[in-house]
Amino acid sequence: MEVVDIRPVLAPAISLVCAGLVFLQGSNAFWRRFWSLSAALVKLVVVLSMLPGSLQGIVYVYDFVEFTPGIGLAFRADALGMFFAAVSSTLWLLTTIYAIGYMKGAEHRVRFFGFFALCVSTTVGIAFAENLLTLFLFYEMLTICTYPLVIHDETPEALRAGRKYLIYTLTGGAFVLVASVIVFDASGTLSLGQPGILTQEMGMGTLTVIFLMLTVGFGVKAAIMPLQGWLPTAMVAPTPVSALLHAVAVVKAGVFGILRTIYNVFGVDLLAELGFTMPLAWLASFTIITASVIALFQDNFKRRLAYSTISQLSYIVLAASILTPFAATAAIAHIANQAFPKITMFFAAGAIAKKTGKKNIRELAGIGYKMPWTMGAFTVASLSFIGVPLTAGFITKWYMSLGALDAGEWWFVVVTAVSSILNAAYWLPIVYIAFFKAPPGTVMHVEEASPTLLVPILVCAVYVILLGATVEVPGMPFSLAEAAVNFVFGM
Amino acid sequence: MIEWPHWMAIVVLAPLSGAVLTPIVSLRDRRIAPWFALATMTVTSVAALFLIMRVAQEGPFSYPLGAWTPPYGIELRFDEFSAAISVVCLVGSLAILCSVRYTEWLRELAKPRIPYYYALMLLNLGGMIGFMITGDLFNLFVFLEILSLSGYALVAVSGERTAEMAAFKYLLMGAISSLLVLFSVGIIFGITGSLNMVDVTTRLASVAADATMPAVLALGALTIGFMVKAAIFPVHVWLPDAHAIAPSPISAVLSGLVVKVGIIGMLRVYQIYYGSGILDLTVLNQVLLWLGAISIVMGAFFAIFQDDIKLMLAYSTISNIGYIVMGLGLSTNLSVIGGAVHVFNHALIKATLFLAAGAFIYRTGYRTLTDLRGIGRAMPLTSIALSIGAVSIVGIPPTAGFLCKWYIALGAFEADQPMFGFALIFGALFIFIYYIRMVNAFYFQEPIHKEVLRVEEAPLTMLGPILLLAALCLIMGILGRIPLTFIEPAALRMLAPLGG
Amino acid sequence: MLEALWHNIDYVASVVLFCIGLYILIAKNNLIKKFLGLNIMETAVFAFIVTIGVIEGGDAPIMGHGAQAPFHSPIPHALVLTGIVVAVSTTALALSLIIRIYRQCGTIEADELREME
Repeated sequence: MEVVDIRPVLAPAISLVCAGLVFLQGSNAFWRRFWSLSAALVKLVVVLSMLPGSLQGIVYVYDFVEFTPGIGLAFRADALGMFFAAVSSTLWLLTTIYAIGYMKGAEHRVRFFGFFALCVSTTVGIAFAENLLTLFLFYEMLTICTYPLVIHDETPEALRAGRKYLIYTLTGGAFVLVASVIVFDASGTLSLGQPGILTQEMGMGTLTVIFLMLTVGFGVKAAIMPLQGWLPTAMVAPTPVSALLHAVAVVKAGVFGILRTIYNVFGVDLLAELGFTMPLAWLASFTIITASVIALFQDNFKRRLAYSTISQLSYIVLAASILTPFAATAAIAHIANQAFPKITMFFAAGAIAKKTGKKNIRELAGIGYKMPWTMGAFTVASLSFIGVPLTAGFITKWYMSLGALDAGEWWFVVVTAVSSILNAAYWLPIVYIAFFKAPPGTVMHVEEASPTLLVPILVCAVYVILLGATVEVPGMPFSLAEAAVNFVFGM
Repeated sequence: MIEWPHWMAIVVLAPLSGAVLTPIVSLRDRRIAPWFALATMTVTSVAALFLIMRVAQEGPFSYPLGAWTPPYGIELRFDEFSAAISVVCLVGSLAILCSVRYTEWLRELAKPRIPYYYALMLLNLGGMIGFMITGDLFNLFVFLEILSLSGYALVAVSGERTAEMAAFKYLLMGAISSLLVLFSVGIIFGITGSLNMVDVTTRLASVAADATMPAVLALGALTIGFMVKAAIFPVHVWLPDAHAIAPSPISAVLSGLVVKVGIIGMLRVYQIYYGSGILDLTVLNQVLLWLGAISIVMGAFFAIFQDDIKLMLAYSTISNIGYIVMGLGLSTNLSVIGGAVHVFNHALIKATLFLAAGAFIYRTGYRTLTDLRGIGRAMPLTSIALSIGAVSIVGIPPTAGFLCKWYIALGAFEADQPMFGFALIFGALFIFIYYIRMVNAFYFQEPIHKEVLRVEEAPLTMLGPILLLAALCLIMGILGRIPLTFIEPAALRMLAPLGG
Repeated sequence: MLEALWHNIDYVASVVLFCIGLYILIAKNNLIKKFLGLNIMETAVFAFIVTIGVIEGGDAPIMGHGAQAPFHSPIPHALVLTGIVVAVSTTALALSLIIRIYRQCGTIEADELREME
């Protein structure tokens, strides 16, 4: 059931207004914090207020503006979009709190918080985009708004990373635009509101081109190999940016685009006939394994996190490519299941770097004695990535394996298992070093980072456990993912 | 009021007579000149507004000058493409407003000569308006010459060292192109015995059999002539110097409006030839398509290597005209609509960019990206306007530049020429990366000249027009359906042969 | 072929004149000579337009039927007259530009000017 409602527009608009206010009044620390926090809070409330309706199957739509017949900006909060929006607005609130603590005393804070709000605005815009053009617009805006954050330090290294980032992602955006034009030419619509708008009659050639261009276009931000080059370099950004943008907003936008491509542009039935997704699944498997292996050899904390992100993102792509309901559930649920552990880790890495200035893993010996809460949260997140039951990661792996077996593709279960082992191989040593490799004579001397840093870390860690232990997590119920799957598969 | 037929005469005569009167009324006090010119443009704009409302209501209509009925007398004919006079009035008036301070600041322009600057400008605008609404081929040539001659003179006004050379180069190329136009007007008169466009169209259809050769010749000469005016590769060489060296308000008029005259000219020629159905235009379309594509790539490519902000904008004009010509060359409904809409929208976008660049130059005296580093902090409003213009010219939705690219790309796929669709969008990406460098320089890089950080925001007479145009860049994108409802019937009518 | 050319000798002449003008415009180095080339081209076009006004067996528009041929169509003359006015103003503008160039740069040879840039 579709209901016309302003809230899908309101949610991105709030962050937009917040960005404007930050730019205007941001030189005053109080107002900067006030607007950032209250906007994050209001936005979360707006998104969550749609949740009960969404769970009852109500889809909120709003045609914002139509440039010319057939193309325009329109918003639509369906189950899949709601899930993504709920994840990103929850994490925005937490990251804002974290960022206020982390950026204390840093330069260019007005610019930082202004563009930070803009990024979240565009991410929710992506989640609620009703058509490919709206999706493209917010996708490109996200690129542009992240750029000032990536080059925040304005060092030559940061500027270089920023340029690389722009070239990768803008090229990706161009692919998306070309694909949108072809889709419009072929089908006469760009809507993402149906389970598939393309049909077999459009010709194998056209469909192949569309699929290739959309996967490449969105795959850049989803960091599917060989398009991952920008992500590790972009780690020069301040930690809250790396956390929110490279665990949630930017990379998830790419993944979300791929989900939309598979579920709403092509539709699972068409793709099952065409068989396009098998190569994508293999590519994703390759990315999962290779990125994990590379991560093993990274000593820089954030770089290891970056490669782990690349690996984890491909889980979603892989699960989506399997085209069975269980795998689809895994794909959608993993949007949250990857975000929370990964952001926990980023927060932990940032807190450690802020507190002690240590950025490399081998320097972390005994850090568990100094920052037990932080490292405790980190351990929970590691367990989640390994896939230990009662953590978020387990749910994903369980459903994905079920889905792969449904499809008769047992190979992917092996990929999952190998990945779990690799995850263990590069996360557990950190935990081990932190708690058990302390230099002799280290005593328990708790010296945690400030509460604004610590609280978000702990909240995220709690979420990691909740996501694995219960289906009724406040704010992002599992049934929402299931509703999305039901819609996509026409169940 | 709307139906009053003489608006048509007023819209041409007001700026032309205003041009004559400006130096006279400002004999006592030269500061009157811009305001008198502005008043003239206001009258013209009001007349234009009525005409456009009328064409929206009842479609094309005509006005016999001196009450001589066509085809004997000269006919002014107002159709949907003529609605382009709206941007002529708007951009022209805003450029005049910007000139108030800019001309006072131009060192080389002697103060007593300032009224002549406005006279030339009004002459130029009046010529353009006449060109767009005339229904007579020879009249078309006359107006073409009025606007071209005043254009050459305006380029030379700036007094920068190379200005005269640029103006002379512009004059030589422009005079050859005008000659070609005159030559083909002669041929068309020779084979049809008429100069009235509608009349020529019907007569061409009936004399077809034995006169194809001269008709082809005339078409070729007209196309080349108008291509020079529109600065399509390979006859674009005059544009970068002329547009970069002219004073910024003039650059806005030249780049935003005057090059469009070539496009409107081509549209008129197409109307005649498509209407008569005398020739198969496939070959010409192929040529236009390729030249358009080359212009896009070449313009963008050269723009990337420019450090001078105005030179870069000038090359980007070549690139954008390439889009329009490509749209014409694809000759599908959608692509022609896209091209025609961009005639309007590019005028707004390019005027925003040139006027904003002019404001920087006015305040700092610097004109290269390197020198202007950090200007975004000193002149935030102008910089935002410039950024909107940049985003718009790249074609990011929902700005004005997007519609054209969307429609032309769609037309390319419709016409089974997907390569051009790809080229178009990746070309836009190319430009985007460059504009990002510009934004980078303005906001993020360390300034080279410390005094750049201390300049004030542009004066109100410049800032107002710039912000208005920037807002229009956004509005025309969001309300893109308005120009579209105008252009669509005209484009469809043009592509359909007579009686079809 | 030759006969056709001879039959249209007036057109051929104007085309030849046009090409001569174009050659001068491109080949000459002196700005004034360049511009003289343009003037020759203009003359060629004017001559061409005047000649199309001669139509064998055409009626005179004002004197009515029965008047003795040959008559010239007056419209091309009107056109050329306007064209000449335009050409004169172009020439005036070009010459004034050349004077300003000479004052600023001390030369009007195209290659020397190019070196100065």
